Amino acid sequence: MMSALKLTNVGMRFAMNSEGEKRHFQALNALNLEVNRGEKLGLIGGNGAGKSTLLRIMAGIYPPGSGTVWRAPELSIALLSLGLGFKNDLTGRENALLAAVLQGMSKSDAKRHLSAIGDFTELGRFYDEPVKSYSSGMRTRLGFATALLLDTDILLLDEILAVGDQSFRNKAREALSQKLTEDRTVILVHHAENAIREICSRVVWLEQGQVRGDGPAEEVLEAYAKAA
Amino acid sequence: MTLKQYFSLVDTIARLSLKAEARRYYFGFWWWVIEPLLYVAVFYVVFEKFLGTRTPDFLMFLIVGKFTFIWFSKTVNYAGNSLIANAGLIGRMDLPKTLFPLAVILECTYRQTAVFALLGMALILDGYLPNAYWLWVLPLICVEALLIVVCGFIASVLVCIKRDFALLINLGMLFLLFMSGVFWDLSAISDQSTQEALLFWNPVAFLLHSFRQVLLWQQTPDLAHLIGLTLLLLGGLALVANGMARYRYYLAQRVVTT
Repeated sequence: MMSALKLTNVGMRFAMNSEGEKRHFQALNALNLEVNRGEKLGLIGGNGAGKSTLLRIMAGIYPPGSGTVWRAPELSIALLSLGLGFKNDLTGRENALLAAVLQGMSKSDAKRHLSAIGDFTELGRFYDEPVKSYSSGMRTRLGFATALLLDTDILLLDEILAVGDQSFRNKAREALSQKLTEDRTVILVHHAENAIREICSRVVWLEQGQVRGDGPAEEVLEAYAKAA
Repeated sequence: MTLKQYFSLVDTIARLSLKAEARRYYFGFWWWVIEPLLYVAVFYVVFEKFLGTRTPDFLMFLIVGKFTFIWFSKTVNYAGNSLIANAGLIGRMDLPKTLFPLAVILECTYRQTAVFALLGMALILDGYLPNAYWLWVLPLICVEALLIVVCGFIASVLVCIKRDFALLINLGMLFLLFMSGVFWDLSAISDQSTQEALLFWNPVAFLLHSFRQVLLWQQTPDLAHLIGLTLLLLGGLALVANGMARYRYYLAQRVVTT
């Protein structure tokens, strides 16, 4: 099996400045993890376990404080999440344009995609209304539709299926599963266990910045449920 | 990312931000000219009506000064907050960090075209007819834009390192308003060497003075100083842009974690 990503002894410490007092928060601590090509890996753990930090380090947003990260040089990678940060005074369509261009599409390509994105979101006439008039469900639908534009070799998915009502969630899973081709490496962070069970064959359980469990999805999820 | 993609991205962000900003307020786009006009009105009443300044044609003197100053002060202020304002995006994508301040600078510059158009109209209405000296406005605008980019980049990095800098930059703009001869004439300084030092060390004062020279007084600006300033700013830009590229991870980490 060829590796897609390999993290060796990765540590990350953040300075926290609360009320003038300097403290540190150890987000990741001597963490080792290897992800193979084409693997569908689930990442679980409570709040502050280090999931988001780990995804950011994998995506190359910033390097780890200590240890090394190796990524197969020919593989492209992207971190997708719903919280891209919409501009409230822009319409759904304009926000979709912005998201597409930010993700590397040319403006003319992006414009061609806009109506397809609009159809997918089922926003109807709201697609041309400012996002500030949206319900939270509408926001997440737009978020999902604009997050899934990229076709990179490695997809890091941060709570991307946490979208509104059941019918749209099914549709979102359907759209996502089309991306889960055999050669694509996927790392999924999600709070709902059945989504992880459905998509991932292997699960890594993080606790206090370290790997507490790593193995077949069923086993790790079971151990995690017991501990909780 | 190619240079073409980079600038197209900057332009798209700037244009969309303009739209968002215009929708946010009842008077929309009009605020871009209302604000400098209100400033001029207040300064005019205070300095001309209350204090009886002896600056000839004070109104036009003030308009040229304030309309060119506001471009610098507003833009650098906004650019300062541009990195932390995009924390969500920076925490998700490894984008060039200069993208964010540059988009803000372009957005403000689009706005400023309305202010410059108003400035031209005001001059003509007041009897200052276009002449060859007005051509100097183009290089002066370019140098001011360069100054804004360098200062805006530095401001965005400083605010990213410590939020307190945002307050300091705000205060700094107020000090500059007083130190650059926006509403008073530098020639009112009786000591010649102080006056020269101010023009030499304060590029904003120098640019404001140059705008007045070419638009109001039919004089040629200090070309040697203008060229020197341009070279200095180009060097500064190379240094700052390079630094922001080199320390992009550090900046991302600061933005995401503080």
